[in-house]
Amino acid sequence: MGVHRRDVLKAAAASVVVGAASALTGCVDGGAAEIRLPLAEREREDAMNSRPLMTVRIAAAPPQQLGAVPHGIRTIVPVTGGDFEGPRLRGRILPGGGDWLLLRSDGVLELDLRITLETDDRALIDMRFQGLRHGPPDAIAALGRGEVVDPATYYFRTLPRFETSAERYAFLNRIISVGVGETRPDGAVHRIDEIL
Amino acid sequence: MTSRLLMTLQVDVPPPQKLGAVPHGSRVIAPIAGGTFEGPRLRGKVLPGGGDWTLLRPDGVLELDLRITLETDDGASIYMTSFGLRHGPPEVLAALARGQTVDPSTYYFRTAPRFETSAPQYAFLNRLIAVSRGDRRPSGPNYTIEEIL
Repeated sequence: MGVHRRDVLKAAAASVVVGAASALTGCVDGGAAEIRLPLAEREREDAMNSRPLMTVRIAAAPPQQLGAVPHGIRTIVPVTGGDFEGPRLRGRILPGGGDWLLLRSDGVLELDLRITLETDDRALIDMRFQGLRHGPPDAIAALGRGEVVDPATYYFRTLPRFETSAERYAFLNRIISVGVGETRPDGAVHRIDEIL
Repeated sequence: MTSRLLMTLQVDVPPPQKLGAVPHGSRVIAPIAGGTFEGPRLRGKVLPGGGDWTLLRPDGVLELDLRITLETDDGASIYMTSFGLRHGPPEVLAALARGQTVDPSTYYFRTAPRFETSAPQYAFLNRLIAVSRGDRRPSGPNYTIEEIL
């Protein structure tokens, strides 16, 4: 999505026939070429955009292993602190939240996080997200051993939501956003994009 | 962050049930009578019986809470839920309320769909995060749903 996505699109357009490229850019002179483009390629021209909202770094306490519960294997990770920073807001994570993880029977880890952000100008923001993490067994096993793993080798995506009463951050109440996560030995890092 | 088209979804909305002012805002329940969906990897129809439990918040943002069942052309059932937000300039929202056709780029209408299925050929839906862009047309909303890669 966003700028990166459109750059990829331009490269893709340049690599196909000239007529298809004009179809991608919205010109209507290449009707026959447009038919040669698969649906997915044609739809991408007007696809969604995004922009960076913030990067959140979460410090966690040792997890509480609750074991097998009716929906899977439950692990609760208390949050002890952390920080966040983006073009429009920055600050720290208050201690007291947590991530109520559930390892499903299909091997997918479901995240259910609730934390409170405090901005550098003292506004409080309730942040919650649900997310999914899964990947090849060796990558997931390495994460389980607390090793550093390239986040490109596994899927870790979240849907953060925000609540605040602070007027200057009220835009957070009105956006849909997506996070790309990375599990590190000392916690998690989430790069969050606002969907425009 | 990159994404790719998952599907376009169109749902048919009969007259909504207006419940009026409830503790969290103004509640309107929109039953879903049917619809269709199509994408590179799946296509089919929306079964009647779901709905969108919308809530107009005091700050003017419409929260969407959709639950529907999709049936693919090869007979699989997919449970779809979607949380979304819709807001925009007052004159645009007023035109939508009057059932007029409005350029979707003039307002914000985004959702985050989730899927559940037991069909092995669609199990990838259980494992992905997706977002959609909505377009409220007079007959019902259209959604362009993208998988977050």
